[in-house]
Amino acid sequence: MRRELRYAGRSLRRRATWAFLAWSVPEALPAALSGLAVARAVDTGFLAGRPWVGLAWLGGLLAAAGVGALGARQVYLRLGDLVEPFRDDLVRLVVRGALRRGVAGRPDDGAVARLTHQVEIARDTYAGLVVVVRGFVVTAAGAAVGLASTAPVILLLVGPPFLLGLGAFLTTLGVAAGRQRAYVRSDERLSSTAGTVLAGLRDVTGSGGEEYAAALVGGPVGHQATAELALARVGALRTLCFAVGGWGPLLALLAAAPWLVGRGLTAGALLGGLTYVLVGLQPALGALVDGLGGSGLRFVVTLGRILDAAASAEQPARPGPAAGRVAPSEGYPAPTRPGATAGNAPRSAASDRIPRSTGYAIAVRGLTFAYGPHSLPVLRDLRLDVPEGDHLAVVGPSGIGKSTLAGLLCGLLPPDAGTVTAPPTDRRVLIPQEAYLFTGTVGENLRYLRPTAPDALLDAAVAAIGATDLVTRLGGYPGTVTPGALSAGERQLLALVRAYLADAPVVVLDEATCHLDAAAERRAEEAFAARGGTVVVIAHRISSALRARRVLVLDGVTAALGDHDTLLATSPLYRELLGHWHADRSGSPDADGPRQAPPSTRATAVDGAGRTPPAAQTQPAS
Amino acid sequence: MNQPGGSARRGGWLPVIGVTALGGAGARLGLPWILGNAVDALVGTARPTGPAGFSWTTWAVIAVVVAVACDLAGSYAGAASVADTTARLRRRLLRHILDLGPGRARPFAPGDLSTRLTSAAASAAHAGPSLVLLAAAVVPPAGSLVLLAVLDPSLAVAFLAGLGLVALVLRAFTRRTTEAALRYQETQGELAGRLAEALTGARTIAAAGTVDREETRVLRPLAELRRHGVRAWQVLARTSAQGALLGPLVLVAVLAAGGLALVDGRITAGELFAASQYAVQGAGLGGLTGLLGRLARARAGGGRVTEVLAVPPTVHGTRSLPAGPGRLQFLDVTVHGGQTSPPAPGADRSGPVAADSSAGPAPVGSGAPALLNGVGVPALLDRVTLDLPGGAAVAVVGLSGAGKSVLAALAGRLRDPDAGTVLLDGVPLPELPHPALRAAVACAFERPVLVGDTVADAVGMGRPLTHVLAAAHATRAAEFVTRLPRGYGTALAAAPMSGGEAQRLGLARAWHADRLLVLDDATSSLDMVTEMRISRTLTEDHGHRTRLIVTHRVSTAARADLVVWLEAGRVRAVGPHETLWPDADYRAVFPT
Repeated sequence: MRRELRYAGRSLRRRATWAFLAWSVPEALPAALSGLAVARAVDTGFLAGRPWVGLAWLGGLLAAAGVGALGARQVYLRLGDLVEPFRDDLVRLVVRGALRRGVAGRPDDGAVARLTHQVEIARDTYAGLVVVVRGFVVTAAGAAVGLASTAPVILLLVGPPFLLGLGAFLTTLGVAAGRQRAYVRSDERLSSTAGTVLAGLRDVTGSGGEEYAAALVGGPVGHQATAELALARVGALRTLCFAVGGWGPLLALLAAAPWLVGRGLTAGALLGGLTYVLVGLQPALGALVDGLGGSGLRFVVTLGRILDAAASAEQPARPGPAAGRVAPSEGYPAPTRPGATAGNAPRSAASDRIPRSTGYAIAVRGLTFAYGPHSLPVLRDLRLDVPEGDHLAVVGPSGIGKSTLAGLLCGLLPPDAGTVTAPPTDRRVLIPQEAYLFTGTVGENLRYLRPTAPDALLDAAVAAIGATDLVTRLGGYPGTVTPGALSAGERQLLALVRAYLADAPVVVLDEATCHLDAAAERRAEEAFAARGGTVVVIAHRISSALRARRVLVLDGVTAALGDHDTLLATSPLYRELLGHWHADRSGSPDADGPRQAPPSTRATAVDGAGRTPPAAQTQPAS
Repeated sequence: MNQPGGSARRGGWLPVIGVTALGGAGARLGLPWILGNAVDALVGTARPTGPAGFSWTTWAVIAVVVAVACDLAGSYAGAASVADTTARLRRRLLRHILDLGPGRARPFAPGDLSTRLTSAAASAAHAGPSLVLLAAAVVPPAGSLVLLAVLDPSLAVAFLAGLGLVALVLRAFTRRTTEAALRYQETQGELAGRLAEALTGARTIAAAGTVDREETRVLRPLAELRRHGVRAWQVLARTSAQGALLGPLVLVAVLAAGGLALVDGRITAGELFAASQYAVQGAGLGGLTGLLGRLARARAGGGRVTEVLAVPPTVHGTRSLPAGPGRLQFLDVTVHGGQTSPPAPGADRSGPVAADSSAGPAPVGSGAPALLNGVGVPALLDRVTLDLPGGAAVAVVGLSGAGKSVLAALAGRLRDPDAGTVLLDGVPLPELPHPALRAAVACAFERPVLVGDTVADAVGMGRPLTHVLAAAHATRAAEFVTRLPRGYGTALAAAPMSGGEAQRLGLARAWHADRLLVLDDATSSLDMVTEMRISRTLTEDHGHRTRLIVTHRVSTAARADLVVWLEAGRVRAVGPHETLWPDADYRAVFPT
């Protein structure tokens, strides 16, 4: 709780805070005057048989309320100056954390909800907290001043029980915050468990898991009820504190009243004192108890979660559990600038001085990588050289680690062992399967990796990739890109243009053409091959291998490298992959859209077999 | 309406809530009167002792103690009642939904069911306490008004006049804040949209090293957000200023009327004080609206819970399954289109069920009703009769919308046909008890939803780990599970999976079925090598169980012993792939 309160305290802008407090003084006027006005109105007015004096005092109270209203207006105007910057800070924190986590390969599904939901709760409860605490201070101080000026002895009587109740209440807040946190957590756990089980009702029934599912959800249901009761118990404790601080002063005043009256306290002063206690102190404490016990706790818990998420985004970028596996919007640890070399290879601080034309060969030595200390390595002791200008295709069954290799080659993942000597960030481009476009103009999106590129270069790139029709349809370079309105293939096409345009000699296409039809894929891959520099294609379809100069076959344990003919002779898995692709032209997982046979010259060697009825092709070549 | 939230029948909390609420209200109403008398006694204008010979101060102490005790007991009883009732309602609803199964629960979307289980059940649980509290909550304001009138009618008049003004201001407030809040939310939505967009490109951004640029881009609407936010506070400032002026107005009005009455000797000084307190309590009328709102939500929540509970659950029989190879028969099976499972009371029926579904071979599938010439909703399956030999691998093929998945769902008893019977080794599926049915039959799906905390849980669903390991091995799931950070113990949430990987786990989950395995396009995302290896395991399976395999792949159909070719809800042909292949229509079934 301390961390949250410290954060909230630090976020108070000094000027705004002072203005806020200064305007609270006039706002306190009615609270300060109420008892005094009642006392004087009764003593010198109504009881003295002079109703106009009494009414004048009451009119004065109303006038004070008018001044208080002016103060209140200014106070709430200043509240915006306090709360909005606080919200801005939180938004920045969340956005920053989410992006950093994202690029560090720890995708954060809750980030957007945090931005819209939690930040808003924090904003509202922060405002509530500021209002409640300030209201309490103002009213209590006003009542104290009023009491002191009506009858100081009453202040001495009501002060101690009031402060005792207040202090006791404040000590319950720590426990209450803990229980509130537990409650929120149990609620979320229930929601997510129930959500999965009910979304999987078909699956539960289909595998006879009803009892298991009932137990799975039953646990969180019970936990939630327990957490709710724990919260209710601490609520009862709050009620007790309020009894001491809110009712205690009244009873103390009543008990001492005969003695006070005996000492000459007037009826009006007694009424005034009671008014201060019952209209001032007691409601103020009540509002504080309710406010802190309600929105205050919500504030602490919500802010705590935002801060936790932000703190976890700052953690070192070793891939977390299963980070960067084959999820669609996966990410990898951010490279340290400027070097993208990983492991113990010499970090190339001088890479900027290397002439553009050379120095972009990739060398992999003894590369081993696993997603966890206890998991089987995805890559084991891999040795690979990708010389400048090479065209390499990486093939293998799905989920075998091809994308992981792409990440390692680009220095986005640190190897567990071995070295990857790769060109720095600005010398290589990685286009992942899920093409990233943002809402903006076509030009902004295409120039993402080369902001200064002139239109002529754009024209050439668009033509080479075959995106001319698409760009024209979008309204040219000033046209607007709305990512959601484009098909996956269209998004990939624009991302490919962007990569083609980049001033980088190494291009890694990680299934970057999987949503294109075979002809478009071929055109794009051939464009990259003709572009010069190195092309590494993580193949979605085996046809990509037929176009490459060399092929790397990964089977999860070993890697085989060679050209098509060599691999056809030496790699059973390669033969198997090739055979199935021909057997069933949906040979690629998750592929959609129209597909055509690869019109590659290399493919003719096996094309004949591929046209036979599929039934004949079902046995693997091995 | 039958309120499932009424916990009075089982929980003993409601009487406690009622008694404490009334006791607290009574003590609060009595206190100003006691205090007024105490003041009058002190200054000598009233008798020093109240009823029963206690001093007024003692009576005040009693009233305060009663009020505090009632508050304590009442608030705890309220929370306990809600917590108990919520948990009970949730367990009952969950059990019922599981008994409904996917077929009968179909009128409700999964997300909808989930909110019924979480928020609707929680709201419904407030029904009892809210109703009791509402009855008791009328006491303080109404009592205050009555007591004001009893003290002096002018007090009540002054009070009501002041209150009217406050109500007007509060109404204006809600209207104006809604407007300001709308703009604010729009801008916030834009910001969130930008963030969501950038997060989908995390890998591109990481590779390009452009995270700072992205941050600036996402945060661009922040200044505007702040402007709208400040505007919302300005609206609030105006209203709260009015509130600060009008709040004391009620009190001052009552005090002025009371003061004049005091001068005339109609009331005492103590009664003037009591009147001011009643003015404050009477203004608590606003608290009623909160309770009313909660009661309305409770009613709505209760209605949403009852709606689900009203659907009759799937019934299972008691016949035992005789020994057999897993022969699967469909006898004259018809499944109507639309929502024909018992619809929830009040839920919309999606359309009339055709009175005579045999009115010609109606096209089925999404958008099909447009082609119907007003005949009615087409049958998803129309009088399908099939006799599939035990132990065979049977492929089910057909264009999308032909009824393949419905056939698979019937075989797995995920739903029941509207007419006709599905038999396993001669026994109609509904006559089998639940454990026997699920031991014999299991299903795997194209997009499996994995349920459980860990990978092992998701596969086992309560079955022992040895079973999990064997199933994962057979379905080739072991290959990638062992590469997860904690292997089988990896939390599902920490193991984002590709479609093919999830399918392999879904397959492993169904692997225990000893008589019939229903695969509804369950290997579509696997690469060919893996699918090939799995199907080889399936073929070499010692259990000789029947496999019903819905597929779009030629190779899968070719490997099957038998192909069922569905077209528009009817069986077009049954036979080996080689026999059917020459038919151009058959070949057209497979995507090229």
